[in-house]
Amino acid sequence: MSEPHTIRRLTLPLSRDEARSLTLGETVMLDGEVTMTAGFPTHQRIAKALDEGGELPLPMANGAFFHMGSSCRQEGGRWVTNYVNPTTSTRFDDYMPGIVRRLGLTATGGKGGMGRACVEALRDVGCVYFSMPGGASPLLSIGAVERLQTGWDDLIEQFRLSRFRLDGFGPVTVAIDAHGNSMYEVLQDGAAARMPQILEELEQARRESAARLAAAKRG
Amino acid sequence: MAITYDVVRQVARDLYGWSLKKVPDDTLAALADARARETNPTSQRTLDFMQAAARAAEREDRHACSDAGFPTYFVKMGTRLTLDGDIRRAFVDGFADLVATIQPPILKFITHPLTLERSYEGKDMPIVSFDVADGADYMEITCSPKALGSGRWADLKVFSYPTLADIEAYVMECVMEAGSQHCPPVVIGIGIGGSFDNAAKLAKMSTLRRIGTKHADPMVSDMEDRLLAAVNKTGFGPMGTGGDTTALAVHVDYSHGHGFVPVAVCFNCWINRRTTARIHGNGRVERVE
Repeated sequence: MSEPHTIRRLTLPLSRDEARSLTLGETVMLDGEVTMTAGFPTHQRIAKALDEGGELPLPMANGAFFHMGSSCRQEGGRWVTNYVNPTTSTRFDDYMPGIVRRLGLTATGGKGGMGRACVEALRDVGCVYFSMPGGASPLLSIGAVERLQTGWDDLIEQFRLSRFRLDGFGPVTVAIDAHGNSMYEVLQDGAAARMPQILEELEQARRESAARLAAAKRG
Repeated sequence: MAITYDVVRQVARDLYGWSLKKVPDDTLAALADARARETNPTSQRTLDFMQAAARAAEREDRHACSDAGFPTYFVKMGTRLTLDGDIRRAFVDGFADLVATIQPPILKFITHPLTLERSYEGKDMPIVSFDVADGADYMEITCSPKALGSGRWADLKVFSYPTLADIEAYVMECVMEAGSQHCPPVVIGIGIGGSFDNAAKLAKMSTLRRIGTKHADPMVSDMEDRLLAAVNKTGFGPMGTGGDTTALAVHVDYSHGHGFVPVAVCFNCWINRRTTARIHGNGRVERVE
């Protein structure tokens, strides 16, 4: 997990080479265009459309697709952002491997990471996963300048497919790279490996506490 | 003088609105402490961004998190109060008022659990629980909005005659299960004992306790201290991308019960949304936080 001194600024959609050049833990800022949704039914619809050879309402092939909800207001004929915010990506683990592969995405993202099948799909097509800070909406939303297009407007606003223009969006962290490495797996494995030691230290602390409490009781 | 439907309705509306736009002061202080201790450069940046975003939310009157979740209210009614009007309905109507007036608007988050249809209202919405405060002449109301991000990772297990080691190992299992996903650094609430429903409520109430306060029973506060240290050794870190701070606090509470011991564990994400107001017997509204 290298930590570069400068923050790279990248334009979406990433080229396949750009996606593959990103390293785990790297922090970047983003410009360009991205499609986003926070909707579970939206993922089901995308998967169904891809399975059945149906059309998607927005062009998504080789692009960036984020797990984010959004709210916009109309101003002077444009859709200006009220706010955006990442949502929990593992919710879409059943659908994302197929979506990543079939659309040849080069970037995806949200919060909390994705499962092993997704990590393998990202590696196979050359796509990265960006972790975005949740709950930091006032700052994160500044970089999501305007909504250019929506699809499946019968869905509620945050579930629609929404295409946004980004300008200085971030910072976001490369949390799954395009080479099969997941920061989430590294952390989960590290925590699991340390757990016997952590439980032993809890046991030690319990003994110390019991002795302290017994001494206090004796006065 | 009585506390009226109108006052409760207004306070219910205001509390939910305030909670969406302000990260509590104790939480901001805990984030600053975490930043001072953090050794991982990515996590230092994440904690800086979180604090700056929290300050911007308050300064610019914007949502800290765009997912407003749904409001839960905890009401403590003083036994010396007189009430005038339908108090349960005041919460339903206050919630509706907030939805109708807040800017920027909130999205449809209220979800039917069986059909997953979304709305701005629903059965038993908002979630309100009532308790009494003997001898008090005020009504204290705490609002805590809850969304999937951290709400999803709560868990409850019923033990029979557990040891402290059993209970603490289970808490660590819950922490591992949530991993990077609950928008850490979190506040962890743990409820032990009583009945199934009581343990869950104790856990939730424990997340609402102010960070930095200790449980009055030293046996419990020792447990809080060692569990906090243990959770922060996992290394999931801010936003789950690695670091020294996975939890800002671990709060434990217990009730006596029988040999079966329910243990409930729940999480509040780093913005730790929570506001409290008191309505005094003379109708004066005091925002506590």
